[in-house]
Amino acid sequence: MSDAHISVRNLRASHGPKEVLHGLSLSIPRGGIYGIIGPAGSAKTTFLTCLNRTLQLVPRASSVGEVSLNGIPVSNFEINDLRRRVAMVLPLPVGLPMSIYDNVAFAPRMVGMHNKGELDALVERCLTQAALWDEVKDRLDQLGTKLSGGQQQRLTLARALSTEPEVLCLDEFSIAIDPVTTMRIESVLVELKSEMTIVLVTNLLAQARRIADRTAFFLNGNLVEEGPTEELFVAPTDPRTHDYIHGKFG
Amino acid sequence: MDTHPEAPLQPNAVPAPSSGSAADGVNPADAHLGTRRRTESVASLVLLTATLMAALPALGILGLLIIRGAPALSFEFLFTMPLQGMTAGGILPAIVGTLWLVGVSLLFAVPVGVLAGVYLSEYAGESRLSRIVDLAIVNLAGVPSIVHALFGLGAFVLFFRFGTSILAGGLTLGVMTLPVIITSTKAALQSVPQSFRLASWNLGITRWQTIRHVVLPNALPGILTGIILQVSRAAGETAPVLFTGAAFYLPVLPDSVFSQSMALSMHVFALVTQVPGLPDSMKYGTALVLVGTVVLFNSFAIALRFYLRRHRKW
Repeated sequence: MSDAHISVRNLRASHGPKEVLHGLSLSIPRGGIYGIIGPAGSAKTTFLTCLNRTLQLVPRASSVGEVSLNGIPVSNFEINDLRRRVAMVLPLPVGLPMSIYDNVAFAPRMVGMHNKGELDALVERCLTQAALWDEVKDRLDQLGTKLSGGQQQRLTLARALSTEPEVLCLDEFSIAIDPVTTMRIESVLVELKSEMTIVLVTNLLAQARRIADRTAFFLNGNLVEEGPTEELFVAPTDPRTHDYIHGKFG
Repeated sequence: MDTHPEAPLQPNAVPAPSSGSAADGVNPADAHLGTRRRTESVASLVLLTATLMAALPALGILGLLIIRGAPALSFEFLFTMPLQGMTAGGILPAIVGTLWLVGVSLLFAVPVGVLAGVYLSEYAGESRLSRIVDLAIVNLAGVPSIVHALFGLGAFVLFFRFGTSILAGGLTLGVMTLPVIITSTKAALQSVPQSFRLASWNLGITRWQTIRHVVLPNALPGILTGIILQVSRAAGETAPVLFTGAAFYLPVLPDSVFSQSMALSMHVFALVTQVPGLPDSMKYGTALVLVGTVVLFNSFAIALRFYLRRHRKW
């Protein structure tokens, strides 16, 4: 695909001696929400960690193959620059042990942004984008760790947005939060998709169907098929996709 | 408590749901409950006894020291020089010497120990080498202090030509406390949840920035506790300063780290073994001052930890 934002060619990844991704190729178009579904153990998370090279933080894990961002191999990026461009929201909410304000201002400060006015504006914008601003605007100096789980997940999202990423990856962001917060974050993602490419790994088929523009189905470390979400759900070409969507396994 | 199976059950025993065997008058569930209660009371008695056995000697020592030593304490005792071959006067040079020795040991052991602990926890990873280093450090912590003293004599007094001095004695104490400072620093860092590091790394924040801004601030209470417990150990040990820094009788205050000085622990040893005919109260008084110094350091540690825990952020 010519306007692929992320393109992956023949990606293999292993945890120790065990290969979990078996030569996967995939193009993620610029903008929109790209959903990835599949049963547990199909290497969805491993795939995400190859995008911002956090796989190398996992002991004994390794990968081969090509992952490119804007046509440039991710291995050519300076590692922390890459992670600022490709943001990641992990399954469990993590409020860093500092104030709500500092949670969001942390990453910008670490690259030298210290202007109070700029930081204030950025914190407000990120918290607003994450649908958290109204709830916390009067207590920004309170500890991020003291927020409720759903609020912490939105704080995590606001923090991820603070580096002004071009790709936002979410790994099963809703497994530890309530349905109402889930719906709020989903609508946030729909608003954000015009500004950045969103890669959404999810266990919830309904979630992918609600908000993903395209969806890929992973099974046992292979890409079974991918396509526009509605097509994949209504008329899957592969019988395994059909079985998974209709709850016959996984 | 009577636990014969046919004995009347305790009045407040919870009746078990009736089962087949309840028909013959003995409810096995209730009998089992009795056994469990007996086990419970035996367990708490045994645990209480063990706790008392641990606490009583400590309280006994402290009590004896206070009763026998307190009469010797006075402004003069704490703040003047010893006179007439230590049989009269105060113990000021020993107090000051101990503070100097502990200070030098801290200046050496805290930076080295904390930085080594950070390296081992955050950078070394799981390799064969780091396991060997770990093992070496743990074993070093178990080396008797007299062996550290001989090492200090060989290395600092003779090889580095520091002579018998506060510097040599302090460094020897520092080497002795290093393993525990490293180990406790490492343990404190590893008690900070890994999810904090992952969240930070995922933001493109460097390893060092993550340590500096996320991990270290939250490990601080644990690190400080380890350090201050070692301070009191350094203040109390006699053997390491015996050959390296402490003078037997030197009624002047040290003027630099190259001076020799007296030390409280050494002074107790000297008074008890070397000065015949000394009033008991002076020996006990000196020991009480030594224990008091250690307790002072420890209560400082406890206060600091309490303060930091109250500001604990997760």
